[in-house]
Amino acid sequence: MFQLVKSIFMVGPLLFGLGFLAPLMAQILRAVDVTLPWGLTPLAVGLFLGCAYGLVAQFRGRWI
Amino acid sequence: MSARDFSQMSNTELLRAEREIARQHLDRFPWFSVAWAFVNFGTWLVLWPLVFFTGFPLWAAFLIATLNISLSYLPSHEAQHDIIARPGSRLRWLNELVGHMSIIPMVLPFRAARLTHLEHHKNCNHDELDPDVSTRARGPLHAVWRSIQNRQPRADAAYNAYAACLQRIGRTDVILDSVIYQIVFYTILIALAWSGYAIEAALIWWLPRHIALTYIQYYLSWAPHHPGDMTERYGNTRSFRAILGNIGSMGMQYHIVHHLHPRIPLMRTGPAYWDMKPILEARGCDVKDL
Repeated sequence: MFQLVKSIFMVGPLLFGLGFLAPLMAQILRAVDVTLPWGLTPLAVGLFLGCAYGLVAQFRGRWI
Repeated sequence: MSARDFSQMSNTELLRAEREIARQHLDRFPWFSVAWAFVNFGTWLVLWPLVFFTGFPLWAAFLIATLNISLSYLPSHEAQHDIIARPGSRLRWLNELVGHMSIIPMVLPFRAARLTHLEHHKNCNHDELDPDVSTRARGPLHAVWRSIQNRQPRADAAYNAYAACLQRIGRTDVILDSVIYQIVFYTILIALAWSGYAIEAALIWWLPRHIALTYIQYYLSWAPHHPGDMTERYGNTRSFRAILGNIGSMGMQYHIVHHLHPRIPLMRTGPAYWDMKPILEARGCDVKDL
């Protein structure tokens, strides 16, 4: 259990990017009603950006 | 008695006079802080159904939530010092309830907050032993930047410094409280986000919490201890004149009184400061700004 919790915290930024930032960005994109290229859905864009930012934070150890 | 009279007193006489003043402000039940805790926490809780079910404007909820979370620490701070009720007393449950409840929006467990805060008092401004020393900064803008940087995933300050402090004092059991709080917080955020309420979760909890933590660390930790280079009882804290005034700085202009006599309720630190000021001057405290 301890190892599991430790592992979750170790990948915290990536999880936060995918789990929270991705749907947040998708909801914002839907709210502003922006037309996305190549038929991408807001969620797909949110997942891409959330994952990318999460990975950057994961490796840098900081969001900003 | 004038400052000049105090300057002729011995340290023992000064301490006696200081304690006499402190006694006049102690042992008053902090009704305001207790009411503040319940009203503040209740208001923050009510924001959620208001936004979800009644169309209450999200921008207003964001402003109120930011205010709520910014105001959430101090009632718990009173409880951390047993100001509401001492151990074994009839209202002890209220002390503990306020302590736990009011800092839930900050995602800060009471036991961790209390233990680390008492370590801050014991070792104020100490490079290795003060868990809040990471808020030390060159000036106001740097203090804000430090606060944000201290909350980054791999920072060795803020909550991570609290974990190290708890480990040092042999209370690793309390680290579990923080782990549970963090897991519950992020689980709620993620669940809300995937249920279509990501913006609501961000604006009622996630972003207000970050703004509040910066504000709280600025006024409760950085400003009263700046420049933070002395560890002595009469040198580790100062009085200061806040741009936002006494209410805007949550009474922290008089934080020096709190460090000298931690059981004086927040609402009495101002009057106690003015009573005590000639003694503080005689002690060489940094009280020139106020």
